[in-house]
Amino acid sequence: MGEFFNIFIKAAFIENLVLAYFLGMCSYLAVSKTVNTAFGLGLAVIFVLGITMPINWVIQTYLLSEDGLFGTDLTFLRFIIFIAVIASMVQLVEMVVEKFSPSLYAALGIFLPLITVNCAILGGSLFMVSREYNFSESIAFGLGGGFGWFLAIIAIAAIREKIRYSNVPPALRGLGMAFILTGLMGIAFMSLMGIDPAAFASAAE
Amino acid sequence: MKKALLNFFERIEPDKEKQPFLHTLYDGFFTFAFTPNFTTKGGVHIRDGMDLKRTMVHVVLALQLCYLFGTWNIGHQHFAALGMYTGYLEALHLKIAYGLIKLIPIFVVTHVVGLGIEFYYAYKKGHGIEEGFLVSGALIPLIMPPDIPLWILAISVAFAVWIGKEAFGGTGMNVLNIALLSRVFIFFAYPTFISGDEVWIAGLEKVDTSYVSEAYGWGAGFFDWIFSGVGWSTFGEGGVPVVDGYSGATPLSLAFQGGWDNVTQAYSEGAMLWGTIPGSIGETSKPLIILGALFLILTGIASWRIMVSMIFGAATMALILNAWGATPFMEVPWYFQFYMGSFLFAMAFMATDPVTASSTSTGKWIYGFLIGFIGMIVRVMNPAYPEGWMLAILFMNVFAPLIDHYVLQANINRRMKRAKVAAVS
Repeated sequence: MGEFFNIFIKAAFIENLVLAYFLGMCSYLAVSKTVNTAFGLGLAVIFVLGITMPINWVIQTYLLSEDGLFGTDLTFLRFIIFIAVIASMVQLVEMVVEKFSPSLYAALGIFLPLITVNCAILGGSLFMVSREYNFSESIAFGLGGGFGWFLAIIAIAAIREKIRYSNVPPALRGLGMAFILTGLMGIAFMSLMGIDPAAFASAAE
Repeated sequence: MKKALLNFFERIEPDKEKQPFLHTLYDGFFTFAFTPNFTTKGGVHIRDGMDLKRTMVHVVLALQLCYLFGTWNIGHQHFAALGMYTGYLEALHLKIAYGLIKLIPIFVVTHVVGLGIEFYYAYKKGHGIEEGFLVSGALIPLIMPPDIPLWILAISVAFAVWIGKEAFGGTGMNVLNIALLSRVFIFFAYPTFISGDEVWIAGLEKVDTSYVSEAYGWGAGFFDWIFSGVGWSTFGEGGVPVVDGYSGATPLSLAFQGGWDNVTQAYSEGAMLWGTIPGSIGETSKPLIILGALFLILTGIASWRIMVSMIFGAATMALILNAWGATPFMEVPWYFQFYMGSFLFAMAFMATDPVTASSTSTGKWIYGFLIGFIGMIVRVMNPAYPEGWMLAILFMNVFAPLIDHYVLQANINRRMKRAKVAAVS
């Protein structure tokens, strides 16, 4: 349980997918104009990351790896299979959103299906492989990474709503400001970088 | 007197058409002395002499005690490291003179760079000069180590004013605190100049040179001339070595290594309270900062909600860490955490910045509490950074608009519900 919590905190705050690795920038920049749509997309990303991560873990461990079902090293198929899993999950989310919140569906527009190619999600799965997480850790990492992405996008959306009334130089309005903001938010998020929750957990025992 | 000043200003007023830049400058300085001579029309307005400029000046006034003490403390720490004049009032004139030698260039560079950019943009955009930089410019020298190279300072101030403020549309529009942004820039771009044990005491690496002008800088000869004329002690010939075993470590780094006992071996609690310890220029003396904070609360500039909730948040986290107790630093009793580092300075002057803080009352409680909470986590648990408030405040600056958004939304929902109930019944 402690390990689960550590990885969640680490993925959400310390190694934030957007602000530390700059993954998933396209939808992060495009859908962060208002807090409400950002909130919806953020929830969708939490869901997709949280679901695809354990599924991909199972595929990676029992199908693709050398001691898996087929007995040979199939990791060269990793990318395409991971993306297929992600795409199907996104389809699921899309159907749910369309059914229960048509207004959010309209507001998100093309960016909802584009979660498929949101690099935060594929990146998360690849991080999971390269960091050799086990099953429960991969769930924690998925939820934590999604939560971090969610926090970052609603924070920037609130700031962008606020600076809409500011006298920003014309050349910087819109995306230019969003890029500067992302950089500044990255600086702010560096406050927690370097904390290793696991070190304290082991020191306490 | 007042009439004469007004006459003087009227006489020197440049032509607005012919010399627009000069007129912008003139306007900026004119409104220091007098409120502008026009009133707004139409709509609802607050009728009060307390405009932006007056507000800013109050903050600058609140910082003056820190400036006085900081000037003395630069000199005191320097001579203490050399083992000279260890009494607090001994060689007061030398300590203050040395403090001025260090502080004046920092102050001047900050203002020339910051105000320069500000003036230029005011002129370009065709509005009056806004005094946002007065406060940032007064805060920045206080949060720098005394030996900071001036070119680094200039770059950091330019970065903060340019990217942090002018890009967002000028005074009152910035999302992150300007003073902290300039410090954080140095912190990540030139970390060796603003962290570690050596940087907090002025002029240590140069004391071995035998030429006094090299060890003490441009002003030493001048001050020596005055002091020898009056018959006081002078800076002397230089060449005094640092006392054996002197480390210059701040209480925080000592606490990180070995807990509270390690700190009290080097500094007494009284010294930490009154601030005769190494540190950034203005952040060491707790009582003087509290006086400044009280002044800000009484004049209604700073929010007491943020201050109270920040103390509350920091104490909560410190108590949790006490209970956890995994490292010696975590076992430092929670009330002693307030003796170390820059907590009070950050609380009084940084977190309460009305532009970057939450603007709703409920939001202020949340905002302050989380700053205290996160700052204590960073201070105690993050080995990479010695102190947490700068980064915690920037972190919460990012989330302040979000907090406001949800507080407002909750208010709207509550009233909608009330309106609906009223309509039904």
